[in-house]
Order: sequence, then C-alpha cells, then structure tokens
Amino acid sequence: MKKLKYVGKNAVRIDGLAKITGAAEYTDDIEFGPKLLFVGVLESPYAHALIKNIDTSEAEKVPGVRAVISGKDFPEKFGLYLKDNSIFPIDRVRYVGEQVAAVIATTQEIADNAVKLIKVDYEPLPVLQSPLDAIKPDAVLIHPDLGSYEVVPWLYPQPGTNIAHVRKIRKGNVDKAFKEADFVLEDWYHVPHVVHAPLETHISVSLFTLDGRLTMWNSTQSPHTQRNIIAHSLKIPHKDVRVIASFVGGGFGGKAGINMEVIGAVAAMKVPGHPVKVRWTRKQEFENTSQRQELYAHIKMGVKKDGTITALEHKLYWDVGASAEYGSNVVNATGFSATGPYRIPNVSIDSYAIYTNRPPCGAYRGFGYSEFHFGLESHIDRMAKMLKMDPVEFRKKNAISRKDKVAYGVEMNPTGIQECIDKVAEAIEWGKEDKSPDPNKIRAKGFASAWKAPAMPPNESSAAFIKFSEDGSINILVSGMELGQGFMTAMAKIAAEELSLPLEKIRVELPDTDRNPYEWQTVASHVTWSCGNAVRRAAIDARNQILETVSRAYHIDKSNLYLEDGQVKSYTDSEFKLPFENFVINGIEMPDGTYRGGPIMGKGMFMPEFSSAKVNPETGQGGHPNVHYTTGAGAVEIEIDKETGRIKVLKAAEAFDAGKAINPDLVKDQIVGGFVQGLGTALWEEVKFDKNGRILNPNFTDYKIPTALDVPPVMIPIIVEVPQPDGPFGARGIAEHTMIPVMPAVANAVENALGVRIKSVPLTPEKILNALKEKEEK
Amino acid sequence: MKREINFTLNGDPVSIEVRPNEKLLDVLRDHLGVKSPKHGCGRGECGACSVLLNGKSIRSCITLAVEVDGQEIVTLEGLEKNGLTDLQKSFLKHNAFQCGFCAPGFTISATELLNNNPHPDENEIREAISGNLCRCTGYKNIVGAILDVAKKK
Amino acid sequence: MKEFDYYKPLTLKEATALYDRYGASSKLLLGGTDLVVLMSDGVVNPDVVIDLKGIEELKRLELKDGFLHIGARTTFSELIESSVVKEKFPIIWEASRFIASVGIRNKATLVGNICSAVPSADSAPALLVRDAVVVAASEEGNREIPISEFFVGPRKTVLKKGEIVTEIKVPEIKNKFGGSYIKLGRYSGEDLAQVGVATLAVEGNKYSVAFCAVAPVPVRATEVEEFLKGKEITDELLNEAKPIALKAISPISDVRASKEYRMRMSGVVFARSMKTSVLRLEGNGPEYGDRLV
Repeated sequence: MKKLKYVGKNAVRIDGLAKITGAAEYTDDIEFGPKLLFVGVLESPYAHALIKNIDTSEAEKVPGVRAVISGKDFPEKFGLYLKDNSIFPIDRVRYVGEQVAAVIATTQEIADNAVKLIKVDYEPLPVLQSPLDAIKPDAVLIHPDLGSYEVVPWLYPQPGTNIAHVRKIRKGNVDKAFKEADFVLEDWYHVPHVVHAPLETHISVSLFTLDGRLTMWNSTQSPHTQRNIIAHSLKIPHKDVRVIASFVGGGFGGKAGINMEVIGAVAAMKVPGHPVKVRWTRKQEFENTSQRQELYAHIKMGVKKDGTITALEHKLYWDVGASAEYGSNVVNATGFSATGPYRIPNVSIDSYAIYTNRPPCGAYRGFGYSEFHFGLESHIDRMAKMLKMDPVEFRKKNAISRKDKVAYGVEMNPTGIQECIDKVAEAIEWGKEDKSPDPNKIRAKGFASAWKAPAMPPNESSAAFIKFSEDGSINILVSGMELGQGFMTAMAKIAAEELSLPLEKIRVELPDTDRNPYEWQTVASHVTWSCGNAVRRAAIDARNQILETVSRAYHIDKSNLYLEDGQVKSYTDSEFKLPFENFVINGIEMPDGTYRGGPIMGKGMFMPEFSSAKVNPETGQGGHPNVHYTTGAGAVEIEIDKETGRIKVLKAAEAFDAGKAINPDLVKDQIVGGFVQGLGTALWEEVKFDKNGRILNPNFTDYKIPTALDVPPVMIPIIVEVPQPDGPFGARGIAEHTMIPVMPAVANAVENALGVRIKSVPLTPEKILNALKEKEEK
Repeated sequence: MKREINFTLNGDPVSIEVRPNEKLLDVLRDHLGVKSPKHGCGRGECGACSVLLNGKSIRSCITLAVEVDGQEIVTLEGLEKNGLTDLQKSFLKHNAFQCGFCAPGFTISATELLNNNPHPDENEIREAISGNLCRCTGYKNIVGAILDVAKKK
Repeated sequence: MKEFDYYKPLTLKEATALYDRYGASSKLLLGGTDLVVLMSDGVVNPDVVIDLKGIEELKRLELKDGFLHIGARTTFSELIESSVVKEKFPIIWEASRFIASVGIRNKATLVGNICSAVPSADSAPALLVRDAVVVAASEEGNREIPISEFFVGPRKTVLKKGEIVTEIKVPEIKNKFGGSYIKLGRYSGEDLAQVGVATLAVEGNKYSVAFCAVAPVPVRATEVEEFLKGKEITDELLNEAKPIALKAISPISDVRASKEYRMRMSGVVFARSMKTSVLRLEGNGPEYGDRLV
C-alpha cells in the first residue's frame, strides 16, 4: 500500500480555532432580529392521564401572545422507526413533562407566564414505571392504538400489549447445551435510566414563510432525517423543508432523530414570517428529551470445564419509556448482538421493547450495548471464577474471531480483539497486586471486553461534494455532523490523502440540507466509515477530473500523472508541475487562447449494498442486519474506602480496534472522553423518579456528571488496527464503544476487591457498604 | 421598572437600560451581542456562562445585570482582544475541547487561575476548573493544556 | 423571574429602613448564588430586592479585640485568600474551600450561607465549633445571637422582621488547637454535603463537634463534647463516643442519601475529623484543605 501522508498522522483538529476563540456558532448564538418569537410549553404534571379538555382562552388574551397550539391544531404522529410519538398528545399524556400545548409570544417571559393560564382537565390513569410490571398481561395499555401505527417492516409491535417490539435470536439448541454444560449460572442485572447531559440543551429555531418554505436552525445530529420526518409528518414537500445545523454543544445520541424540534416546526407554521425559538431549559432537557433505556437483563450461561462457553440465554427487558419511535431500534440492535464478542454455538435471545410512563428513550452513546454488557461482562467474570480460570484468559479463549459466525449466522469481520485484550491487560498490569498505603482502603482491578456494530437501516447512506476554489483550496460539503468527535478533521484528512492537499487548504462545512448532499444521520459511530467512504469517492472523482483535464490539455497519458502537495506532476517528466490554483476553476489555456476544463467538483456516495434486515422474526436468521463489529477491551484499577464505601478509579486503560485511525490523537481523545462518560454511569449517574413518575433530580445539583476532580489521574488509550476491508483506509468507528466496558469493569474490580458482586449500577457507596454488611452477616 | 446601568465590558464603557429581573447572561447575549458565555444549566452549576467580574470568575446565569453597575466585566471576547492568549494557543495545540460549548467557560476559569497563581500544579488546576462541566473530553487535554502554560510561564 | 424593585442602599441605616418598610415582601441580596436561583425557579418571589453590596461598612474582614469580624459582604474566596483566616481560623478556611466551586465562592458570602439556613450549610459546623456570634442590625438597634441559637429550622432563623445580619464575630482561641471540617458528598466535584462534620480539639483535651446535613438545622453535639472532655482521643474512645455523637442528629432520606447511610457516615466522618483535629493540634496532621474523604 502507498505510504500515507495525512491519514494516520496527528494534527490539530480543524475546528479547534473556531472553538477556542468562541467563533464557533451554536444555534442559540445566531441573531434572528426583532421578529423573533418565543415558545413556552405546557408540560403534563401526570405520568399517565386522559386529557378531557384543554382551555387555552385565557392564555390567548395575554398581550404579546401570538398563538396557542395543541393537539387539536396538530394531531400528527411522528417517529423514526415506529410512528408512536405525538407532536402534541390528543387524548392522553404518557409521561410527566410531556408537551400538552404551547404558547407563541413576543418574549419568553410572556410565553411562560401565559402557559400557566392554560387549563387542562385530566383523568389520571394507573402509572407504569417498571417494564416488568408493564409486560404483565393485565397491565393498563399505554398505546391502545399500537396496531394502527406506521412502522418499518423489520420491527414487530405487539398490539394489545405494552410491547413495542421483540427481537428474537435462536441458534443451535440451548436446552441441550445447558444439560451438557459442566457449569451453569443464571442471574439478573439492572441498569437504570441515565441522561446524555450535553452542555448545550436542545434548541430549535424555525421560520415558515407564505411561499410554503420551512427553514429550521437546529442543534442536531440528524439534519436530513429531521427534514424527512418533518416533511413526511406535516406533508410538506422535502424540497421546501430546509434544516441548517450549527455546531452542536454535545449530542451523545440525544440529538439524533427528532425530538422537541417538531414543536418549533408547527409553532412556526402558526405565525408565518416570524422565526420562532424553542430552547429547552436544563429541567426540560431531563424531562422531555430521550433518555437511555432502563434494562432488566436475565442471563443464563453454560460452560465446559475447559472454559468453553457453550450456551447463552439472554432475556432483555427494556424500558423504552412512553415512546419507542427510536428506542425500538436500540432493542432490535442489541437483540442481534447480546452474545457480546464471544463465539457461542447455542444462543437464545429475547429482547423486548416495553412501554412505561417514563420519558421516551432513544439513542445514547453505545446504543444499548453498554447496558447489556454490564450484565454480560459481569457474568463472564463470575463464570471464570466458577471455573477457577483467570477472567482475562477466559475472555481470550472464547473471544470471537474472523471465521466465527455471529448469532444471526453471518461471518465475523476482521477483528483485533485478542490484541485489544492483551494490550489492556499489559497496560493495567493485570495480575500484579497493588496495595494501598492506607489500611482503610483496598485496591483491585477489573476487566471487560466489548463489541458494537452500527445499528442502521440496511440502506443507510452518505454522500459528499468537493468543490474547488480559485486558489486550489476545497470546501467539502457533507451532512455528517461535527459533534466534537473529530468528524471534520477525519473527512479533511481522507480528502487530503486522495488529493494530496495540505489540511490548511481544506474546509469541511456544517450541514444545510439545501446545499449539502444527503447523510442519513451522525449516529452509530458510522460516519468515519460511511461518510468517509463517500468523501473518499468524491476526492477520487475530483482527482480523476483533474487528471482528465490535464491529460487533455497537455496530451499526457493519465497514467503518467499524479497529485502531490497541491500540484499535478508527471512520472515521466520531473519538470512538469502544475499547481491546482492554475486551473481548477478557470481551466487550462491552450496555444490558441481557448481553455480546457472548468470548475472541478467531486461527488461521491456510499451505501452498504450487502446489508439486509430481512430475517426470520422467530430466529433472527437469514439476513445481514449489521455491517460489521468494532471490538475492544477496558480495565480499571480502583481503590475502595471500606469505611465510606466510596470508589476511586486510580487508573484506566482501554483499547479498541479502529481498523485504521484516521487521526490517532482524536481517536485517543474519544477513548478518554468515552471512558469518563462511562465512569459517570458506573459510579454516580441515575435518573430518580418518585412514585408518580416525576423526576427527582432534573438538574446538576442532584444528577452528578464527572468533574475534573473525579476522573482517574491515569487514563491509557490504546489503538489497535486490523483493517476493515470496506472502510476508508481500513477505518471503522470507535466513538461509542469507549463507554461500553466501564460499568462491568468497575463492578468486576469491586468483586475482586471485596468478594461481593453488585448487580446494579451505579455502584454507590451505599450499595458497597450494604454488600459488605451482607457478606459479614453470612 | 427599567434602570440604566453603566459598566466596563471588555475594556469598553457600556450604558444600557435593564429591568432588575434580567440576568447578566441574557443581557450580554441578547442585548450586547456577546455570545461566548453560554446557557448551560441556569442554576450556576455548569460554568458555561462564566465571565470575569473585577477579575474574578462568576456565573452570569445567576447574576442580575443590575449587580454589575459600576463594575468591570471581561468575557472570552475581551481576553483575545489582542490576539490569542498563551492559554488559547495551548488549548488549540492540545485539542483540549471536543464539542467546544464549554470552552469559553473553561478559558475564563483557567485565566483567573493563572492570573492568581502562574504556576499551579495539576491538583490546583483540577480544583480550579472543577466547577466547569465538560461532557466530552474527560478533562485530560484541558488539564494538560493548562499545565503546559503553567510550566512555561 | 417575577419583576421586582431593586434598591442598592449605600449605608446600613438606609438598608435597615428599607428592610423595615418592605418586610416580608422583600429579600436581601448578597452573592445571590442561592437567592437568584430560587427567584428564577419561582420559589421565592419578592416585590423588592435590597442589594447590600453597596454598603461599605459591611465589607469587613479583620481581627480586632479578640474577634474575627466577617462582614456580610465577605465572600468565601476572600476568606480563603486571607492569611489571618488561614492561620487563626483554619476550620473556617477549610470549610470555605469545600464550598461549591471557585465561580460560586467568588460571589457567595458566609453571611448569605448562614442566612439561607439550609441544613447542609457548609460554613455552619465550623462556626458552631468556634462559638461564633451573629450580629444583626435593625431599626431597633443591634443584637448579638450565638450561632448555636441562630438556626430554628430548614431555611428558618431567629432573625426578626427588619433584622439584617451585618457580620459574624468569631472569638480567637489563645491556646493551641487543631480542627477540621470534613464534607462527604457524592463525589469530589461540586456537591452538597451528605454529611458535614467540624471538630475542634483544644489543648487540655477540650473538644467541640458540630454537624450539618444530618438534622433540620446544623447542630452542635454537646453531649459527646462532655463525654470526651479531659480524655485522650483513641480509636477505642471514638468508638464509644460515636453513638453519643449521633444522638445529636436526626438525618432524613432524600435524593442525596438515605437516612441509614447518613447516620452511619456521620459516625465515620466524626471519628475521622476528630482524629485529624487531634493530629493537627499535635502538629503532625494532614494540611488544612486536604481531602480526607
């Protein structure tokens, strides 16, 4: 392979200067002028109730109020995979904080005050807060009309129940395998709801004009998907809906798909000519955006004495909240993958999406994999203990490899999992004991492996344009989103490599659905792979146009030409050097004064044509639902204060197989950042609800995300590179994966320290002390 | 009732009428076009709205605009008036931020720290920025970038 | 936030007159780190806000006549920056360091913290073990209130209508002493205390103990002080003392911790703080400001 000049080398991120100077514009920073109006939202005080009547007359009389809207104005349903979500609910509310009506007014203050004058008569219904209750046959139905909702063909809602979807995998014969196993262990694990907590809350500004055009400025990971959902639900031609995405102040899946933006869209339609702003408060961000699903998982695993895993039965009961429009795919994706990165011949998986009266759940960095890995990787450690085998050895022995078949019967892609495990074990000094100098404190290490595939419709796609300018610089137009993960820098490097153009000559533009070509969404850790392929093809297209032009003008065979440092050069004539700026717009002048060429514009697109969601609903076999898996491992060294129960992580190491790290520094930054986000969920984070379904901690006072004082002083990020054959330069995504090993690694370290197994997160001091007490009493 | 307040903003005198219940953050962003302080939590818990009041970092989301009458306010826009500061250059070099939303607030806190204590150790840096939340980075590069400046000065 | 009238008096006399006139419909503003949040949330909706930050005489931090005078305008950052506070009132210095974070401490005042009277007020245990005195001014004149009598319930104090706290007086201790304030939160970053304990050990085996966040008000644990008086602190003695110390508190369960955890941790943190205070008295304890949980 050709020696790479840009890909694989470190660089300062290309959006860095904008961000450290404050030049980076976020949606709320845009000026919209004096016609801007504001939206106040009336939220449901009940977790489950019938709406008997909504009286908006008093609110409408308030000076400064332009309109009041509710379900009678906009009864449409919307959703990404399952259209079960309401712009405004018509007959019933399903969670505390759900939008019931909205006031559009000249100031936020007027809007918020007028909201208080809307009178709603509710008739409370029984509240379901646990998926284990909601799945019972006599449970009250949260979506009585489930059977009538539009849904993609590969999800299976169960009308007459609270089950929005069930994904089943059947492979081999688990019953027989359990009978023949030497050891069998089964147990329950629990992971509560957590929130994304981006520093920037959701925000949307919409403008509807009387020519039928709807323009939206959104903080979003999904501009084209938002356009599609809005156009489809509100029956506006796609060409007339324009979504402009500014920089996003943190997404983590929370700004994937569509959410409160629908309120802005319909509000704007009520007041044509006025931009309308909806900006969530931090409390609304907790109560009325997607959360991460809660999971109750039951795992039964069988092993042979030699340490071979022979059978796995994994039942996943997911609380998807009041809407499964996006979360149903989390349930689906994890159903296909709940074996973890292991070779297991006999598998039975049932993954249930269950409605409750909690806020809607959806994509969250890791897309369900963090949640099921907590149980699975805890269980792996426990099985190793039963076998008296080192847990790292046990993982290595059963780790999936290239030729193995995954649970749905497709061959595993190339993977560096063995190398990831080895390198993490080495970095954490696995097997070496470390003692705290403080007698009150005890130290131990914990390990976990991980895998994750992008969860996507089989026909997801990405597209790219590359435009040259007079000075030979380029603007890359894509609709992938820079969320902080380094997307822009990765795309620039891919183009730089193919065009041999220095990074200083490249800009990557933020999405605008009018101008930039299609991208499904920036989710699933797939844009480096998918959009990267599109950009690479666009760059190759531009390169071909350049070579074609030069070949025609100078009568040099294309095969003798190449690009280097922003110039066209010739293999046969070392004197020949033609800088891009000489011709990429204005062409090449011929002896007769005519010109050849013209503006160079590369285009490229990518769709994985081998992917298929058509599987047998009873077995999950027969299709190719996932494009590939990224694997890795993580480990921690912790110190527990035996008196207070507090855990401090002293050291962490994680390795992931990035295939090819386009920018190694930024890959390492993803590993560190993802580890710390995972640490939050392992030790502190949990959305707490009262008995009526109201959130008790909708603020940073009582929902604690890690600070600079709470992160390990030593964090070792490791990159492994086993190329992905269809990835750009061999690359595959790693950004979400970095969270996945953390919860089980910490729980495994706790067991190694104290000899007690804690089966729910977060691992609070109180749980540690209770477990210790229980152990003493035994 | 509106009242006129006068204060220095990034070195320039400002005179503006505000209502007593307007917050400094909103006045800076909506009336004075200063966009670097961000809305993060509205309760003084995340640090994204940090500005310097007479050289000390404060949370502009829980400060009334009337409180700064006669005082001096500096935001990120003021710090970089004469070009990038050493701290900003170090943030850039270290790829200190990801989404970047928290960056102005961290710059304010770290600037205050380095003004008071030009050579902080890692622990002092972590203490000084512990009121600024970042959800992306795990703080490693932010701390590293400040430490770099502290060692060079 | 509801509209209100804003006054910024320049003298205490003006301030007491205003406060007397507007009474319960008004609120006093110092750092505002508590008040502005409550007003934004609509929990507190005054018609009048009286900003005390224009009053020069409230800007006081000095050691005079055997007392440290902490004027109402003194912020936690100013306490931390003061060498007098660090050397002679190190528990107050230590408690100030564990309050919120720099951006809050630069504005929040000790007097404001005390007047908010939340059960978890970090500065209260330190003031309790140092026998601080609250000085309040009103149209009727001045009044001195021992800090141990100041709190009467969550967000309730003994202050009467029209009384403005002008300063806190903390007596100097002439003898050798060591002290500590330990705050147990959910993590090391900015948090409210689940349990806060201040202890003081004065040469001659005299001890003081106070808690916050584990009772309706910050409390002094006098019974255990009596029990410990005259004794050398040992692990055994502390084990005996724990249940006596815990008699002073009555924690509740909330979103931050359960009652049981708070009770148990009060014992642990009490013992740790007491040992630290004794070590510091002896001159070989950890530095003030070190994190001990």
